[in-house]
Amino acid sequence: MGARINLPDLAFGVLLIVVGAIAWMLIVDLPVGTATSMGPGYVPRGLAVMIATFGIVQCARACLAAHVPFPATALRPVLLVGASVASFALLLRVAGLAVTAAVVVVIAGYAASDVRLRENLLLAVGMAAFAVALFVYGLGLPIPVWPQ
Amino acid sequence: MDLFANLATGFAVAFTPINLAFCFLGVLIGTLVGVLPGIAPITTIAILLPFTFSLPPASSLIMLSGIFYGAQYGGSTTAILVNVPGESSAVVTCLDGHQMARQGRAGPALAMAAIASFVAGTIATIIIATASVPMSWLALKFAAAEYFSLMVLGLTGAVVLAHGSPAKAVAMVLMGLLLGLVGIDVNSGLPRMTLGIGELGDGIGFVPVAIGLFGIAELAVALGSPQDRSLLAFKARNLWPSREDIRICIAPILRGTAIGSVLGVLPGGGAALSSFAAYAVEKKVSRTPERFGRGAIEGVASPEAANNAGAQTSFIPLLTLGIPGNAIMALMVGALMIQGIQPGPQVMTEQPQLFWGVIASMWLGNLMLIVLNLPMIGLWVSLLRIPYRVMFPAIVLFCCIGTYSINNSVFDIWIMLLFGLLGVFLIKVGAEPAPFVLGFILGPLMEENFRRAMNLSRGDPMVFVERPISAVLLLMSLALLVILILPAVRAKREQVFQE
Repeated sequence: MGARINLPDLAFGVLLIVVGAIAWMLIVDLPVGTATSMGPGYVPRGLAVMIATFGIVQCARACLAAHVPFPATALRPVLLVGASVASFALLLRVAGLAVTAAVVVVIAGYAASDVRLRENLLLAVGMAAFAVALFVYGLGLPIPVWPQ
Repeated sequence: MDLFANLATGFAVAFTPINLAFCFLGVLIGTLVGVLPGIAPITTIAILLPFTFSLPPASSLIMLSGIFYGAQYGGSTTAILVNVPGESSAVVTCLDGHQMARQGRAGPALAMAAIASFVAGTIATIIIATASVPMSWLALKFAAAEYFSLMVLGLTGAVVLAHGSPAKAVAMVLMGLLLGLVGIDVNSGLPRMTLGIGELGDGIGFVPVAIGLFGIAELAVALGSPQDRSLLAFKARNLWPSREDIRICIAPILRGTAIGSVLGVLPGGGAALSSFAAYAVEKKVSRTPERFGRGAIEGVASPEAANNAGAQTSFIPLLTLGIPGNAIMALMVGALMIQGIQPGPQVMTEQPQLFWGVIASMWLGNLMLIVLNLPMIGLWVSLLRIPYRVMFPAIVLFCCIGTYSINNSVFDIWIMLLFGLLGVFLIKVGAEPAPFVLGFILGPLMEENFRRAMNLSRGDPMVFVERPISAVLLLMSLALLVILILPAVRAKREQVFQE
């Protein structure tokens, strides 16, 4: 059984069904209106149904297709790039741009398997100074520089 | 002649010091990201978009478009010297360009790529200037039904040209359309799919979505795959192609320009498709097709002409009709909207300075590019020696700051992260993000025109086929879909994307 399924296609089909279903739940209360005078729910409902239908067809076809494994995914870069972006969102308002920029660069740096500690720290300090100079003093963006 | 008066207006705008400076900055950044594999022009434009807010509209668009066509020049450098396409549109340049480099003819290959791009850029600029006026007359006949059908055609084009399964591309378009509708409905004032989150009232931000999908996701995936950068030794001495080389290349450059100009205007078209088509045509018309893939100089000249022409003429639908034909043009719509300008046929009459200024700047930009790329080629080559592990943390930081600065919103950073992770998943399952982004930006426009057209026709959907222009546009979309389903074309299409 399991050896016959196209897993990437199945995963995509499941995503479509989930998106269609969530959208349906969120818009089910909106007035639909008529074709002449459409309510806010008319077009989104149509789209949600089409998306879910595509998803069901994708899943069905994937289950009947020859086996294709899910492509190997290197988790390290995904997790560390994600963590680096999250650290920006969490730190910026508290710690200011200088510290945040350095932390973002250090964490992102470890996403590469050939990271070098000294090079990465140097880059972090350099990028922090560059970002503050360019964006805050150069372009005048209203971003706090230092911890509040 | 109106054309000359218009171009004179354009050059007057483009020649102001500030616009010259931003044009130069644009093509400089474009060349830079073109040379560096792993950073696409679309990512760069998405990252720089927030920073154009404080610029005058003309300067903003002049710089952003410079990045796009500048990248077409830079992409060939990497293709020829490293055998890695700096840009997707330079994939075919690898075939013969890198072979020429191995035979010690890297100089002529690079020079011919730049010359071909320049010739194509010049011709494409003239084409844009002459084609735009009649196109915008046509646009004046457009009502809601025509706009809706035109957007259907644009989205169909995006599906046809997406890599991988067409069914996935259609599904991506639909998801883009749906997510584009998040926010308060303009007609009823009711919030839709906002989950009660106040920040979503204005919809999901376009910039965080684009940077997440094209920036963060691509970075995370690229880091997981091995990087190969074996640079061929290159001496900047014998740069000039021989008289014989130039003679061989004149016709291919003109053919490439023609192919690129036509394919660029088509919805979903642009640079990458043009270069593939031009290469295929050159191989077909050549008396010595066996030389292709073994260092035939016309195999470099024609695709390079085509990708540059296609990059430029893909601005025509955007500038005249206000409809983006590909994902990069969708970002340009974003750039105009940040400036408070609604793209559409009225831009040409209401903002002639902007319209003709951007067109004139393209020719100036091409002139700057040939100077940037030929005498300074050594500088760009040395950039290829910077390791990726040093470059990408800086890019992650720019993505964050760029997204944040649009609304000074931490919420947008989370949106960017969400779409970054979604993008990784989509790349892994083989669904391209470009059709999604096009659907996302067209979603609200399409819904509004659909509602208006149906309202005027009292709920009769026949309005879309009874109006002649609308019917032609829908027929064209249908034809595209039928062609796509035909087995012979399907096999050919897969083959083209395989190469």
